Amino acid sequence: MTKVRDGDLDKLGLLFERYKRPLYGFFYGMNREQELSEDLVQNTFLRILKYKHLFRGEGDFRAWMFHIARNVNIDHHRKNKIKAKDDVEDWHNKLGHHENRSTEMQEDEEKQMLSMAMDRLPEEKREILLLSKYQEKKYQEIGEILGCTESAVKVKVFRALQELKVIYKQLEKSM
Amino acid sequence: MDELIAKYNEGLADPSELKWIEQLIESGEIELTQLHELTALDNHLMNMEAPAPTLRLDDQFYTMLATEKRKQRANKFSFSLPDWNVLFPRLAFAMVILIIGFSAGYLFTGSPQNDDVHVLTQEVSDLKEMMMFSLLEKESASERLKAVNLTSGMDNVSSKVTAALFQTLNSDENVNVRLAALDALLPYVKDSAVREGLVESISHQDSPLVQVALAELMVSIAEKKSVKELQKIMDAQGTPSDVKNKIQESIRVLI
Repeated sequence: MTKVRDGDLDKLGLLFERYKRPLYGFFYGMNREQELSEDLVQNTFLRILKYKHLFRGEGDFRAWMFHIARNVNIDHHRKNKIKAKDDVEDWHNKLGHHENRSTEMQEDEEKQMLSMAMDRLPEEKREILLLSKYQEKKYQEIGEILGCTESAVKVKVFRALQELKVIYKQLEKSM
Repeated sequence: MDELIAKYNEGLADPSELKWIEQLIESGEIELTQLHELTALDNHLMNMEAPAPTLRLDDQFYTMLATEKRKQRANKFSFSLPDWNVLFPRLAFAMVILIIGFSAGYLFTGSPQNDDVHVLTQEVSDLKEMMMFSLLEKESASERLKAVNLTSGMDNVSSKVTAALFQTLNSDENVNVRLAALDALLPYVKDSAVREGLVESISHQDSPLVQVALAELMVSIAEKKSVKELQKIMDAQGTPSDVKNKIQESIRVLI
């Protein structure tokens, strides 16, 4: 990233190849929309280019990138006033949709359930778990992204996992 | 604490115990990895394959990157007008440095060199003057012509030189030498003494060529005082008619 900052734009291509998938995973996990998530990945890289001079090269690039990604996501929702609230009636439709897709992609049922449970989590909790996943459980860096301490991040992850577990069990019963 | 963790892992912890666990996590006494049930769920989450974006994202990104690179290259090679706010202080600084450099050069090295050059120039002028005086004494007209022409290379001639030139103009036996002396005096016509000398010289001339040349010079410098002297030539019996006509014309212009 320091090379990109110093004007070597070719290196941004390397960063894109390395991080496009975790970024897309984060946005897709937050929004469940393929095109929107791709657009948000693109916006994240545009912001990285725009603010490259602000990267001091001291911290972790991935954390800096996810900090930007998080703001991109927040800005998008603020702009479009989208509230990702699923109706309970819609839940079964979504379940069916996921089942179909899982069959197509031959994913196992457990992962499908987990994915659905994630969708049911409040946005804030979904975000912390996605950051934990794509930031590879580096809680201190997640704290930097969210602007809180490492121990506060651990508590947030605990609460989010706790709620995820409850939703997961509810889904198991309903299946 | 172990009992609490065990109770949690068996799924038996009540809300107050969950709150307690939170506090212990915050204080660092319990690590998330100790909570096996949660860890299993977390691991499932970690192992979930991240969805892959389509090629559309690659297209979008690389198009954007190519555009940015083009912009960067254009900025690098174009001679766009620089920001004046940035350029002005730099130019001012460069100018100040230049002036200081010149001043320092002048102060530290200029004076002695200038003095040397001045002395040398003076010496050359003196030499030329000496040479000129010596050549004017020669019998050969061409040598005397050379002497007169030497003054053209002098920056400032002394009164001795102008006196020698007037001497030549008024009394040299060769007309060409006289004419050359007249030409040599031209650069100094602004000097009133030289102008007076030229007016006075008119009466000394018997050569029609020099008379006409002087009459033309008087017109060009608009020297009205010369009219009386020119009139004398007009009145003289031996003056050729062509010269008279020319002088008549000159007098008419001067009046």
